[in-house]
Amino acid sequence: MAASRREPWRLFDDLDRPLDAAAQMAVDLGMLESVAAGGTPALRCYRWCPPALTLGRFQPASDVDRVACARLGVDVVRRPTGGRALLHGADVTYAVALPEPVGAEASVDAVYRRLAEGLIVGLATLGVVAAVARHEGPAGAVCMATQQGADLRVGERKVCGSAQVRRHGVVLQHGSVLLDRLPFDETDLVAGEHDRDALRAATVTLAELGAPTDPAVVAGALVEGFAVALDVEFTSIPGAPLRSVATLDVDLDQRV
Amino acid sequence: MDYPEHLKYSSEHEWVAVDGTRARIGITDFAQDALGDVVFVNLPTVGTTVASAATCAEVESTKSVSDIYAPVSGEIVEVNAALDDAPEKVNAEPYGEGWIFVVEMRDPSELDGLMDAAAYRRMVEEG
Repeated sequence: MAASRREPWRLFDDLDRPLDAAAQMAVDLGMLESVAAGGTPALRCYRWCPPALTLGRFQPASDVDRVACARLGVDVVRRPTGGRALLHGADVTYAVALPEPVGAEASVDAVYRRLAEGLIVGLATLGVVAAVARHEGPAGAVCMATQQGADLRVGERKVCGSAQVRRHGVVLQHGSVLLDRLPFDETDLVAGEHDRDALRAATVTLAELGAPTDPAVVAGALVEGFAVALDVEFTSIPGAPLRSVATLDVDLDQRV
Repeated sequence: MDYPEHLKYSSEHEWVAVDGTRARIGITDFAQDALGDVVFVNLPTVGTTVASAATCAEVESTKSVSDIYAPVSGEIVEVNAALDDAPEKVNAEPYGEGWIFVVEMRDPSELDGLMDAAAYRRMVEEG
């Protein structure tokens, strides 16, 4: 009996690629555009150095405390995806680009659920039992403070937040798996009054769960999880393409 | 799922209501259901010219940003500013108060390339 052929996906090893926050978003968009141009679906995992606060595509720039971000050495960039402010730096971020499904599998929630299977399988190999979060309604200014169907939880606490953009018939979804905590958090960086204790209580990190926190180990687990749950076969490629468009709007008052 | 007979439909799940040379445009019941709760609509600017099949608006739902395409070419002559304060109208009344923009058509013959309700329903139901 012939073995079934697994769907070919590209895997970009970007974990140690030294890119700033704007460049990371440019690479994610480059991946989207490469799939729109006929490339196979793609996955990449990456880290943020220096730490960065990312804003959702339509989030008001006034949500950012720019003075605090500068003082703490936090880069700020706008994502092409939806959602609210998220601090990166002690996380592993994944990004997937795949053709927009059709029919019943096309919905936003269906794609979140499909990709969640990969994340859940990957986290399980690290001993973390995660589940798709319950929808708590519209988010405030801080992504991690609210759970939506796009996210993963352990118990009642959010461990991974994800978001999507759909352009040119392609879905780009990226998300952040919390490894540990930085000495500061979104409540220090987002304008207005925010409850640090509530944010900490609403989230959990792999370190707090006693799971591995080595970014390479976590990224490897996510790749394996996607391979198994989505039945895909990865071909490793050194680095994802930057967005083909030469300029990228990094001004927070503009939109990516 | 609702497919009003008097409308035209694009393969990108927009509907078009024709009134002379003007086309009122929104997203279909299927599209709003697939998006989930709409929390923001990035409306086009009145006076801009759009080409058929070009991106001219965006909607955000459940942390997902999706492009809205122009089913016909022409000039944007009206946008539904009520969506700024009440984007949920796109979910509640996709064919009514959830309309998004109006195009003064440059070439009304482009309407011939759109689907009627029966053809659009077939496309949706057959995937």
